[in-house]
Amino acid sequence: MSVTRLWLTDFRCFTEAVFEPDPEGLTVLRGENGAGKTSVLEAVGWLATQRSFRGAPRDVVVRGRADRAVVRAETLQGTRQQLVEAEIPRDRTGRIQVNRQPVRRRVQLAETLRVSVFSPEDLVVVQGGPGGRREYLDDILVARHPRDEALVGEVERVLRQRAALLHQAGGRHVPEVLSTLDVWDSRLASAGEALAAARAELVDALRPFVVQAHGRLAGADAPEGNGESGGVELAYRRSWTGPLADALADARQDDLRRQATSVGPHRDELELTLAGRPARSQASQGEQRSVALSLRLAAHQLATEEQGVAPVLLLDDVFSELDARRAEALVAQLPAGQVLLTTAVDPPAVVAPDRVVDVQGGRLVPAGGPR
Amino acid sequence: MASGSLLQALVDELGRLPGIGPKSAQRIAFHLLKVADEDARRLADAIVDVKERVTLCSRCFNVAEGELCDICSDTRRDGSVLCVVEDPRDVAALEKTQEFRGRYHVLHGALNPIEGVGPDQLRVRELLSRLDDEGVTEVILCTNPNLEGEATAMYLARLLKPLGTRVTRLASGLPVGGDLEYADELTLGRALEGRREVDA
Repeated sequence: MSVTRLWLTDFRCFTEAVFEPDPEGLTVLRGENGAGKTSVLEAVGWLATQRSFRGAPRDVVVRGRADRAVVRAETLQGTRQQLVEAEIPRDRTGRIQVNRQPVRRRVQLAETLRVSVFSPEDLVVVQGGPGGRREYLDDILVARHPRDEALVGEVERVLRQRAALLHQAGGRHVPEVLSTLDVWDSRLASAGEALAAARAELVDALRPFVVQAHGRLAGADAPEGNGESGGVELAYRRSWTGPLADALADARQDDLRRQATSVGPHRDELELTLAGRPARSQASQGEQRSVALSLRLAAHQLATEEQGVAPVLLLDDVFSELDARRAEALVAQLPAGQVLLTTAVDPPAVVAPDRVVDVQGGRLVPAGGPR
Repeated sequence: MASGSLLQALVDELGRLPGIGPKSAQRIAFHLLKVADEDARRLADAIVDVKERVTLCSRCFNVAEGELCDICSDTRRDGSVLCVVEDPRDVAALEKTQEFRGRYHVLHGALNPIEGVGPDQLRVRELLSRLDDEGVTEVILCTNPNLEGEATAMYLARLLKPLGTRVTRLASGLPVGGDLEYADELTLGRALEGRREVDA
């Protein structure tokens, strides 16, 4: 799966631009900070997911005073060529079309274009609170299966309904509230168990890929570090034991008093440890970066294995994040498939891009083909 | 834009209707200007009549033009089976099937704490009193197959089952005459779950 040509109109700093990456290998987008390198990756990501991996709302990605941005890409999978177009109006929900036909279901889009993204913000998956790690898992689930997408949505909605109900009860045991609470708890129990099971299963599927990717990246850690950067381990920890229905019943008094739901998949944790120590608090910044990158590479490899086609891999600013050794280790293990990479610094010597494009002031200039 | 404050007022009013944007509102307003007086008046009268004479049925809370709605006052309908729906529009939809000969009960909503809707805001108490009064033996829960509708169905089932009434739920499945390949994964999954033995 690859993008063979990308057109940008009024997207971020680009008035009109065409980007032609190498269809099979590594394309490096080179330029100073703020030149618009990341915006090119963001546009590809937008086509695949209808949102910005930088978390930017629509009115931020539309250039200047333009009232809409348009992103268009020619994609290639095997011999199948398709055209994906996203219209991004400043003030309302955008539209997405494949081969000039509106896309009604995400599955249809997933068959045309999928991406895996690594950006510097990914470090929060390791460094930040458990919410970011749950989101990491849920994003993969949602991309994998429409049923899991519905499940994630249902859990979110039940939790909001339950929160509203607890709030209305105001700590009092109103019989009317209690009887409807039973119903929401029962929905939460079934959807919550299913979501936790799906996440735990996903963690099991990811584990070998994470361990493998990290082994290679951390192999580069060893010479500089104190030799303690041992294996990475990941485990899904539920916030309850036994059936969730029972746990909810046990927690009810507390929940009514605190007006919050204290057990459920929204309180679970994806535990990451390095040589037995929590990666969040007891790993160096460099080690944390290796773990964060391993998590992304693992998701990418799992998707490649399950779908039989590699998603387009978007690596934003990885070299500023990784020292030369880790960067080399990363490049050495890049999976087959199209990779788009941005960098403000000169890439390490070992990097042999198939194409280099210079990004300067809203323009994309090919830098003399393969080196 | 429309000129004149009278015309503008009409455009504004039309624009408040569901599904009508500013452009459609303007087009309808100019259309009404052009049509014969009696046609426009008929529309105005219809609106006034509906507002003055259509109320809710005192028994099932469907729309009615008197004390009882057409269905509740129809003695040929089977009073022992009740179909519980969220909205009068659902009654209309089910009536079109011509498959159901029982009566209805309209809740006017579904459980939705975020919107402040609990059992007290729905016609639940009225439903309970109907069970005894009318000798109901089966209640069919026909709330929407979304989270709030399912929660409402579950709530009612828990309330009604202990009373000895037979409680059933509308099945989820595939649209008839459609193609499997066009069904969305969730519906198809539910249909697979609820498969039935084939009589042969």
